[in-house]
Amino acid sequence: MSRTPTTDAFRPTSGITRIDTPADIASMKGALLKDIQRSAYVYRVDCGGCNGCEIEIFAAITPIFDAERFGIKVVASPRHADILLFTGAVTRAMRMPAVRAYEAAPDPKIVVSYGACGCSGGIFHDLYCVWGGTDKIVPVDVYIPGCPPTPAATIYGFAVALGLLGQKLKAETHVEGADERVAIAHPNVPYNLRVLIEREARRMAGYRQGGDIAELFLTLLGTAGTGTLSERMARHAGLENDPRTLEILERLKGVVTAAMAGAAS
Amino acid sequence: MFKLLKEIFRTGEATVKYPFAPLHVEKDFRGKPEHDPEQCIACAACTVACPPNAIAMATDTDAGTRTWSIDYGRCIFCARCEEVCPTDAIRLSTDFELAVTTKADLTRQAVFRLARCEACDEPFAAAKEVAYVQDLIDKTAPSANEAARRRRSVATCPACKRARDVATVAALRFDRQPEETR
Repeated sequence: MSRTPTTDAFRPTSGITRIDTPADIASMKGALLKDIQRSAYVYRVDCGGCNGCEIEIFAAITPIFDAERFGIKVVASPRHADILLFTGAVTRAMRMPAVRAYEAAPDPKIVVSYGACGCSGGIFHDLYCVWGGTDKIVPVDVYIPGCPPTPAATIYGFAVALGLLGQKLKAETHVEGADERVAIAHPNVPYNLRVLIEREARRMAGYRQGGDIAELFLTLLGTAGTGTLSERMARHAGLENDPRTLEILERLKGVVTAAMAGAAS
Repeated sequence: MFKLLKEIFRTGEATVKYPFAPLHVEKDFRGKPEHDPEQCIACAACTVACPPNAIAMATDTDAGTRTWSIDYGRCIFCARCEEVCPTDAIRLSTDFELAVTTKADLTRQAVFRLARCEACDEPFAAAKEVAYVQDLIDKTAPSANEAARRRRSVATCPACKRARDVATVAALRFDRQPEETR
């Protein structure tokens, strides 16, 4: 008889049934989620990410967000894990280690795909060495999108994974209505002048705040009111103590004055 | 000991109440991009700007539709779509609770009708886009004749526009003289 044990040596004798079929694992997972009376241990698998996700995971277990108050604890070995957290876009080099970590974790396990890269490959989705998403190599239970997800989004994702909170997003399809039409914004202001105003506002305050300030200015410009434009700008709610926004509005007024002078000459 | 307790009470609790109470999120937080399909003209500026191709457009000429779609699972929340949108149809909201259990729930779609070319009757661009540009032309064109010409040009597909340009140039009857050979 050989000293090397064969597979027959490990084969269960009669009376023992296998419990690792997909149906068994699904029912075990349901039981784990239903009766989990202890901490959920999380093992973090980095499948070739940029470490932004790791930083946010560690931010989520700091005292400010304190995921450990829900018993969510990051452990150092997949053999201790209930939840596997896969970050990164699954590069060619990290695919096997990720699969090994998945195989090493005991059933039932909850797999969470973390970050834009984990969900679908993110910005790296079409790279030659990237599998593009955790679900290409292991079955995923919860997707947490974000680049990276904020600590609050991480906690929400864990809550969804543990069945404490329901998901909010639903797939939606909008079909264009019969008479859907987009009206031109600020019809009272000449279009070319509007372009000049928006360009100047964006130049001074960036596209987001600049756009907001331009919108406010165009609203003030396009609607009638009492007093001069400067007075109405100064009177506008929230601007009394905001000299920077008022300064930008004054400059936008300068743009209008210059355009009117140019049109008159 | 007393000093320590005093310090602890002075500091208070640092941990946020988040899952049990709403989290304070700044006004300009870059969260889920909210798309308003009624304000969208399907011009595809966002699909060009989107660095990870989370926003995509697919044209189905047989059905005469153009489908805009976003995959929140691929979005990196850079707000380039918001920056380029000409009609403010997409804007990043403060919503960060995006976790889902099925991947299909991470997508949003909007289906737009295609306008037909007035010359060859083939679908070529979103009807809303053509209507929007024609409105703009009415506001900016120097004369009524020029506005009518530009409106017709916008309602024509690129291939027909080229063919029409060739016909127009031919009608101009340039008397091109061959260069004198030396």
